[in-house]
Amino acid sequence: MKRSRFPMAVTASVLVFFYLPIAVLVVNSFNASVYGGRWEGFSLRWYAKLAGQREILHALENTLLIAVSATLVSCALGTLAAFALHRYRSALQRWHFTLIYTPLVVPEILMGMSLLLTFVAAGVRLGLFTIFLAHVTFCISYVAMVVLARLQDFDFSVIEAAQDLGANAWVTARRVLAPMLAPGIASGALLALTLSIDDFVISFFVAGPGSTTLPIRIYSMIKFGSPAMLNALSTLLLVVTFTLVWTSQHLITKGEQAK
Amino acid sequence: MTGGRKNGEWAVTAPTFVWLTLLFVIPTFLVFTIVFKPSDPYGGIGSGWTLRTLFSLGNPNYPAILWRTAWLSALTTALCLALAVPTGYCMARTDRRFRNTLLLLVIIPFMTSFLVRIFAWKVLLHPEGLIKRGLVLLGLAHSDTSLLYTPGAVLLVMVYTSLPFAILPVFAAAEKFDFHLIEAARDLGATHAGAFFRVFIPGISRALFTSVLVVLIPCLGSYVIPDVVGGPNSEMLGNKIAQRTFSDRNLPHASGLSAILTLAVLIPMVWVVLSQRKRETGGGGSILKDIV
Amino acid sequence: MADFLEIEDVSRHFRNIRAVDHVSLTVRKGEFYSLLGPSGCGKTTLLRMLAGFERPDTGRIRLDGRDITDLPPHKRTVNTIFQNYALLPHLTVRQNIAFGLQVQKKMPRKEIDEAVDRMLSLVQLESQADKKPGLLSGGQKQRVAVGRALILQPQVLLLDEPLAALDLKLRQKMLMELDLIHDQVGITFIYVTHDQGEAMSLSDRIAVMNNGRIEQVGKPAEIYEAPRSSFVAAFIGDTNFFEGQVLELVGDEYSRLNISGFADLVCFNDKKISAGNPVFLSIRPEKFHIGRNRPELSPKHNIVRGRVEDIIYLGGMTKYWVQAEGHKISITRQHSRFFLDEEPIRWNDDVWVWWHADDGFMLERYSEADENLVSLPPDASGTAETAQ
Repeated sequence: MKRSRFPMAVTASVLVFFYLPIAVLVVNSFNASVYGGRWEGFSLRWYAKLAGQREILHALENTLLIAVSATLVSCALGTLAAFALHRYRSALQRWHFTLIYTPLVVPEILMGMSLLLTFVAAGVRLGLFTIFLAHVTFCISYVAMVVLARLQDFDFSVIEAAQDLGANAWVTARRVLAPMLAPGIASGALLALTLSIDDFVISFFVAGPGSTTLPIRIYSMIKFGSPAMLNALSTLLLVVTFTLVWTSQHLITKGEQAK
Repeated sequence: MTGGRKNGEWAVTAPTFVWLTLLFVIPTFLVFTIVFKPSDPYGGIGSGWTLRTLFSLGNPNYPAILWRTAWLSALTTALCLALAVPTGYCMARTDRRFRNTLLLLVIIPFMTSFLVRIFAWKVLLHPEGLIKRGLVLLGLAHSDTSLLYTPGAVLLVMVYTSLPFAILPVFAAAEKFDFHLIEAARDLGATHAGAFFRVFIPGISRALFTSVLVVLIPCLGSYVIPDVVGGPNSEMLGNKIAQRTFSDRNLPHASGLSAILTLAVLIPMVWVVLSQRKRETGGGGSILKDIV
Repeated sequence: MADFLEIEDVSRHFRNIRAVDHVSLTVRKGEFYSLLGPSGCGKTTLLRMLAGFERPDTGRIRLDGRDITDLPPHKRTVNTIFQNYALLPHLTVRQNIAFGLQVQKKMPRKEIDEAVDRMLSLVQLESQADKKPGLLSGGQKQRVAVGRALILQPQVLLLDEPLAALDLKLRQKMLMELDLIHDQVGITFIYVTHDQGEAMSLSDRIAVMNNGRIEQVGKPAEIYEAPRSSFVAAFIGDTNFFEGQVLELVGDEYSRLNISGFADLVCFNDKKISAGNPVFLSIRPEKFHIGRNRPELSPKHNIVRGRVEDIIYLGGMTKYWVQAEGHKISITRQHSRFFLDEEPIRWNDDVWVWWHADDGFMLERYSEADENLVSLPPDASGTAETAQ
């Protein structure tokens, strides 16, 4: 049957819309010009200049420290929560689900604001630790939902099968549950990692002196800094994103093959 | 046996339950409480109770800002849906190999740093930037016209950052949609457009609700986009919250504005929850499942 | 032979539902024993209690003289073939089969490898040994599940509707394979199914279950030819029910029945139901004869007159529904030489229907609901008319 061309045209335009700004940014990062309006020749000077920025490295350190620790904690909590949600069907779990689900649809600024108020009211000093607490809080929900989605495809009779074949609880957890859930937990972890590295709004609200993360640094560069150096930094971040997305897609395909 | 089961359930539920109660539920209620607290001169929260903040929320600038927040968010959502539905449809109808590539192309901007994406547009819209120069060259814009710092720029960038969120649920639903239904509708005499609107759209309506929710609600809370590409005449509620927090150091006032935003967010949420409940039960868990 | 597996007064309730209701059974060593019943009859719950996944609320389970009621599944010498096979998706066929021996650390690695090789050849999967289950066909998955359980040399093998996921042709093939494996290994098989054909063709004995209770235990032929209740009669095969009353006993083995509309009938009465008692007469469709002309009959035959209401030609046989004195009778007739038959019976023809007294049986227990299990002519299906 003949199909309408209209959706295809829209899709093509959307893709151009998505990638045009990114492409301009990447090209400009190699542009010798300061403002990037005109092509003044290929140059790596912005990358070289970037490497000399101590504050950026320090911010990156903070970001990674928070991202890794928040990912570990939120993965443990989120997986446990997903397991509870999947395993039990009770009034408690309906509340539990609402509790995990709601943070996903709350605007970041509200979460940042409410956490800031809480920390101030409780007299907690703002800093890396408060950012860590905030990141775990929003990552839990994402991890739980990703793992829960995987659990829903999970055939629980294999656990009974393992027991039936003589595996005790520990062996079942180690040899059956862990390898089968690993791809789900890994993609949850990857998502948590990405969200934590990328988060600006919430971090900005609960950050204290000396706890500048990379996005906070980038924000001040957008507002006050040199666009050329930021082009270079953004390009590097894009490379990281591409790699992460590719890896996670790879994990997903691998997970599907195992089924 | 049942006693053991209850204990087991608590053991796996308690960690997140306690964490989210302490760091999500209590903070959210705190927003509504701090409004009644005085501010202290060091940017903290004073002791005692007061209604002063509540009265100061009657600031004459606020209705305009609230209205702008609402229409910018609504328009962003409408534009995103208008683009997401044909795109999701097209992605689902291309053959499998190419479909995964398309999906990847949509996921990449979705995963790309939020700030980088906004910055990219600031560069493009800059007076020295590509778009402005192009428009001037074509005689479509005067060299004095500013593209940046306008409500239009805010709208454009909001659509840009939200669009992947709208496409992914639509695509997920369209992929599961049985396209024979469209052929059946055509066989029964429906036009292209007729089949599209009377068969396809109702078939993915659940995903459309999801898309509305995941676009509209973050938009209502926008802060960075109007802050970076908007000007004084394109401020949104989020800007005011940040301003009161960081510039004026008046936490109770910021908390009052946050309370208003919370209520504003509740309206679309309740609407979606109610209309979903009417359809089928099964929980909104699908929303995230659709995205991830 | 001594009872090998004893199930004594076992019950299991879920909230208010009695899934298994005071069931007692005994299974002999090496027997192929089927639990047959409609879905929700409790057969799977009973099986899960044997495997150790469910704990009975009352009663004991003994295996080879040892009480295993409270033993967890991994300590039982009982293995299960799951309905969906429950193969471990992240392991290859070889690793799946080796899993039980590995986790139980029963033997050194080298012996495990040898045992796995032997099992792979028994279930004919040598060429698939390094594939993941996701790449196997339904029949191959089934064989992995069988091999994985048998390698542990269980005392009892539990099979939970193992053929339900397969298509008809493959089901028949696997049916024969299972039968062959049972003969080869000599392990006690307990086979749960809702398919009477599977149960009939494989089993030494069958326990028919309904609503958590055992309706009847017996050899396949006993259950088919002498069902004890209307449920068994209607669930195993198809039947016709007629409500009536015993008039008098004739000799040792027969009695006269009065069924409204018909002249007095003779019926085999092995259950010695005495005169005056209300009974239900059940006659299977294939026991009837049908013809246009009245045949010469011995006194042990019954004959009634009716009109053909519906005919369905099914290839190997034809189904007729005949209206006779207010009763709707379902009749099947095998035809060995269809086209050579004298003038075939057509819709609306007047016919004679007759049967031998030995081919009907009187039921001790009857429930009206079981009428629903009886297949009805297409136009009446769903309305479930009851025999008068």
